[in-house]
Amino acid sequence: TLRLICTTTAVQRKNVGASGPEKYTEAFIKKQIEEFNLGKRHLANMMGEDPETFTQEDIDRAIAYLFPSGLFDKQARPVMKHPTEIFPEQRKIQWGEDGRPFHFLFYTGKQSYYSLMHETYEKLLNVQKHQDQLIAQDLPLQKEKRNLAGSRWLTKIELEEMLLEKVSDDDYSRFIKLLQKLVALPCADIEEKYIQKFSKEVPMQLQKVVIEPLQHDKRGVAFSTGEGKRKTARATAVVYDSGTGKITVNGIDILHYFPVLQDREQLLFPFQFLGRIGKHDMVCTVSGGGRSAQAGAIRLASAKALRSFVTEKEVEFMRQAGLLTVDPRVKERKKPGQEGPRRKFTWKKR
Amino acid sequence: RIMPVRWSRYNPSYLEPEVKKESYQKPLEELTEEEREHMELKAVRPIKAAPPSLSSSVFSDPMISKFTNMMMKSGNKVLARSLMSQTLEAIKRKQLEKYHKAPENEKETIECNPYVIFHQALKNCQPIIGLSNITKGGKTYQVPVPLTDNRKRFLAMKWLITESRENKHRRTLMPEKLSQELLLAFNNEGPVIKKKHVLHKMAEANRAYAHFRWW
Repeated sequence: TLRLICTTTAVQRKNVGASGPEKYTEAFIKKQIEEFNLGKRHLANMMGEDPETFTQEDIDRAIAYLFPSGLFDKQARPVMKHPTEIFPEQRKIQWGEDGRPFHFLFYTGKQSYYSLMHETYEKLLNVQKHQDQLIAQDLPLQKEKRNLAGSRWLTKIELEEMLLEKVSDDDYSRFIKLLQKLVALPCADIEEKYIQKFSKEVPMQLQKVVIEPLQHDKRGVAFSTGEGKRKTARATAVVYDSGTGKITVNGIDILHYFPVLQDREQLLFPFQFLGRIGKHDMVCTVSGGGRSAQAGAIRLASAKALRSFVTEKEVEFMRQAGLLTVDPRVKERKKPGQEGPRRKFTWKKR
Repeated sequence: RIMPVRWSRYNPSYLEPEVKKESYQKPLEELTEEEREHMELKAVRPIKAAPPSLSSSVFSDPMISKFTNMMMKSGNKVLARSLMSQTLEAIKRKQLEKYHKAPENEKETIECNPYVIFHQALKNCQPIIGLSNITKGGKTYQVPVPLTDNRKRFLAMKWLITESRENKHRRTLMPEKLSQELLLAFNNEGPVIKKKHVLHKMAEANRAYAHFRWW
């Protein structure tokens, strides 16, 4: 099952529009829009600007100037926005004056979800019919594979916004599986437009990290710095381009600072991966955390520093080996009513 | 592949890291369709950080680190790691003794590499079919059930460790006990292999109930 395991803050907003029956009438919204437009013109007059060319950014700046607030939460400060952004879209009443519902699937409870599933299945059957026709005519099937790598499916919350009704986890995963089945068929190019409604581009390419150029020491030796962290440990590493592979941590040799073999293996990991064990010298400073966290922090710092010495392809290999990502795992907090983060108190029958 | 099981702090779109150097040096033509797709996916998706027990050196082996983690008690990885290395050393010593004592024609058949012995012993200990308790009509039956790769490996490692912890003389140390168990398992003898055969026989005996399984 596709369970939402980890969510970012952007995705955690509650979709108010899909829950419950209508809360505000259309007339109310219209009144709010009129009041907003009037208020915009008054505000423009107050600030001495032209009411016709008063944009949303100007409104935000004006409100921040007139109502300064010391609250930390940005969403708690005074806000003046168009009513369609504040009041989410709602479903209009689904039945006519005689009480008869408009949609034929109204009594299922999830009419838009089931109608969506029916539509998608119809497209699937279409594609299969087309495929059968091609086979009957002995024509070759198109085998162009859609580039699945650059796109992702809609999240559950985005689907809820689209359908204006609550979608459960099971329903969402069923829908995604049906879409994947549709895409897996060879002649799915016919329904490309329909599929594009449910897929989004992943802007992974835009996150190009700037690799710093090499700096030069007083003696002319090329070096580069990198910073790394793991749990509570913070480390900075300076990698020099000269001869022997000596590594110094906080002024102490690694053999004395890290008596455990595993930590030393972690320090040497980036160098061993690139095949440059004897070629670089390293001086690092590290503070905080425990023995393993410090080793992980130094590993990340040295991998970041090595990026400047190495070709782009090798940087990509390092990223795919997991050397350049910050490890997000931290100690889980203890919860009230439990002894530890997961362990509950001993269960006593009486 | 040995995969982590519980929920994680990473977003579900993060992929597992590939640590071995050789997989990056293969030229493009040798890869199959699936591998090419996987490579394209990796180029776009973010990747998790490599855990501290994995490294690209020749000495790190995912199976050995999994076994070390299972042997570990209350988070004492240092002790578990040293026990593991002592076990491998003990295996090597025993095999070398046998090698030097053996006549010329048998010298080639004796395996000296402790990693090879470990992997082969694990493979020999893995059960093919398992039993699971299914309650039907008030009675609990032992139903033969196919096992996944992960489950087989886990059972083999668990049996080896429990055997060496319990059924031995009090004064012998863990590396000694483990190396004995591993060598016996390598030659298809020993209590762990017996346990595997017993499990297979039970499954064979209960094959009448196999239709109780619904998955």
